[in-house]
Amino acid sequence: MMEKEKVEAKVKKTIAKVLKKEENEIASDANFIFDLGADSMQSLQLIAGFEEEFDIEMDEDDALEIQNVKDAVEFIGKIVNK
Amino acid sequence: MSNKKRKTYEEINDILYPKSIAVVGTNNVIGSVPYDIFENILHDRFKGILYPVSPSEKNVSSIKSYKYVVDIEDDVDMAILVFPSSVAHLAMEQIGKKGIKSMVIISAGFKEVGAKGLEKEKKIKEIADKYGISFIGPNCLGIINTDPKCHLNASFARAMPKEGNIAFISQSGALCTAVLDYADARHIGFSKFISFGNKADVDEIDLLYYLKDDPKTKVILMYLEEVTNGKALMEVAKKVIAETGKPILAIKSGRTAEGASAAASHTGSLAGSDEIIDAAFKQAGIIRCNNLEEMFDYAKAFAYQPLPKSKNIAIITNAGGPGVLATDRAINSGLSLGKFEEGTTKILKKSLPAAANIKNPVDVIGDARADRYNIAISAAIKDKNIDGINVILTPQSMTDIEAIAKDIVKVVGQSDKPIYTSFMGDTDVAAGIDILQRNNIPHYVLPENMVKSMAATFKFNERLKEISEFEIKQFSDVDKEKATKILNEAIAKNKTYLPEEEAVKVLEAYNFPVLPNGLANSKEEAGKIADNIKYPVVMKIISSDIIHKFDTGGVILNIKNRNETENAYEQILKNVKKVMPEAVIKGVFVQKMVGEGQEVILGLKKDNSFGSVIMFGLGGIFVEIFKDVDFKVAPISVKEVDDMIQSIRSYPILMGARGSKKRDIKSLKETIQRLSQLAIDCPQIKELDINPLIVRNEGKGCFVADTKIML
Repeated sequence: MMEKEKVEAKVKKTIAKVLKKEENEIASDANFIFDLGADSMQSLQLIAGFEEEFDIEMDEDDALEIQNVKDAVEFIGKIVNK
Repeated sequence: MSNKKRKTYEEINDILYPKSIAVVGTNNVIGSVPYDIFENILHDRFKGILYPVSPSEKNVSSIKSYKYVVDIEDDVDMAILVFPSSVAHLAMEQIGKKGIKSMVIISAGFKEVGAKGLEKEKKIKEIADKYGISFIGPNCLGIINTDPKCHLNASFARAMPKEGNIAFISQSGALCTAVLDYADARHIGFSKFISFGNKADVDEIDLLYYLKDDPKTKVILMYLEEVTNGKALMEVAKKVIAETGKPILAIKSGRTAEGASAAASHTGSLAGSDEIIDAAFKQAGIIRCNNLEEMFDYAKAFAYQPLPKSKNIAIITNAGGPGVLATDRAINSGLSLGKFEEGTTKILKKSLPAAANIKNPVDVIGDARADRYNIAISAAIKDKNIDGINVILTPQSMTDIEAIAKDIVKVVGQSDKPIYTSFMGDTDVAAGIDILQRNNIPHYVLPENMVKSMAATFKFNERLKEISEFEIKQFSDVDKEKATKILNEAIAKNKTYLPEEEAVKVLEAYNFPVLPNGLANSKEEAGKIADNIKYPVVMKIISSDIIHKFDTGGVILNIKNRNETENAYEQILKNVKKVMPEAVIKGVFVQKMVGEGQEVILGLKKDNSFGSVIMFGLGGIFVEIFKDVDFKVAPISVKEVDDMIQSIRSYPILMGARGSKKRDIKSLKETIQRLSQLAIDCPQIKELDINPLIVRNEGKGCFVADTKIML
């Protein structure tokens, strides 16, 4: 069982790495595009980054529906705690 | 048809003339839409203040960037949204909170991609309505305003066009860039250039109302893929033309026959969506163009030259063949070659070589230089019998092309008569064409297109003169209540078809010339009815299940006596039972058979976009084969009824061709006007056929011989 806080921290770490941001710049409800400026390529890189960080496989269509940190934490939390 | 609240002039003007703009969602990726739009605004010298808004950039093109639009300290007039559709709603919320009331949404990924996109489009429209924002788009190329007061290129086109008096509005964004490139090569300028995309808020009708009052616009060009509200489009087009005299040239793509194949009536079958568009555009005064080349052929004629005051033109050429080609097309397009005044003929005779043709078309012959052209053009311009000049040039070794072009430029400025040119060829004439185009002289590669364009401007000018004649006749001797009751009762019983016996009652309520009739449920009853209404009679099966009565053997014509009537009754029932044993028979309709006359068809079809459309044409069972019909959107004015009757190829037959007598046109006109009134009063009618309507000799009236109504 991975706690939500830990999932969120790892999600933010991945986002910071892919989007070249400081982790403390990333709010818990930040939208990847609107708040963090991700482009379409970076959105795909984020999915790959999450899969690598959590050692999981994400359905691409479902994963592309994720638009913000909060949704990513929830989505990934469900997979890792299955 | 929606009852959309129309945008005001000020609301559209605020989008086109902002003093400050925020480009929301821009970046520094050269070649991306968000960057190119920002760059175009900046480098095409927008006369206001520009703010980049980007979550990822500190600056865009060295200009300080804002993370959010709400971070901008100053007030902002307009926002251009270039974020992906997935976050457009988030940006819209902030734009609304910032108090920005005008927007262009460039982003794609809305209605055009399906149901999910449609949801996103509805969401942004809701936000816009909540904050009172007016926006163009989404899914568009952007907007261009060449007015030096604003000088805005908020688009991702490759270049800003030069200033001109032509406005172009388009539903297709990609087409816009092709148009800009095409126009640039021909030195054609624009006043406004607007790609309106999915028209989720501002649509073509709002833009037409705006352009009507835009002092910078003289000619309006429009590319449409769908006509969402045909009635409103017709209304605004009529206003534009009547109030300002600005022509509207339109391309409507998608000439399909959708829906026509499944139609139950002749009218439904003939009135396909494209035929209705054609008719409605013509009626509203919109000039429908087949392609971009034709559109710009006409546009430059309207934009650069006065309208011809009459159909009498002159053709001046140095080549006989092209002169004949132009003459043929001119005559076929409704123009005439004016007969020169005596003075003109004298000048031409004195000044041109003996081999020249001094009659119209004037042939200054192949070795002509600028002096001969000058003499001929100047003489034709001064001639009171000439109201338009068409100059043709082919490049011979001695033809001083540029000098001739320069002389034409000088002459144009001194006359109120239009002068169009056709310097035929390519490389040799290029320098001359360039002179003409840079000086706004309409030029055409083919002389046929030159005179066709002059014909278009002449016809438009004629239309302007007719505007005051659009009177619509209203009959007071109609019983709307009775017709409505019959139709509503049928609808309440889920009927989709009104058999003739009931359809006739609707027509009777509107005082159509219906023949004496009665419904029989036995052969004896049929005999009595026939005796009463006098022979000959026609008998027809009446059943809600049978639309095409002839196909079932359900019609017998020319019944002359009681005995034949009773036999016909039994024969009809026998025929129908054989072909359609399951049909529920209401009875047999006995109707007076009218004598000799010309069969015409009148019809009505309800269109979702334009409302009720009236059809008139040559009638009978071969109506779909001959397709000699014309359409008009109801209500139809007195003048338009005349146009309808005169427009069909068979009109000479009605007027008494080859020794036959003239038919009763007056009665025919009245019947069409009554149908127009019925169509407006009873929108429940989806389709109606009167086929045939028998038009008898002048003074003898016309009569409804058969009718059907679909609900």
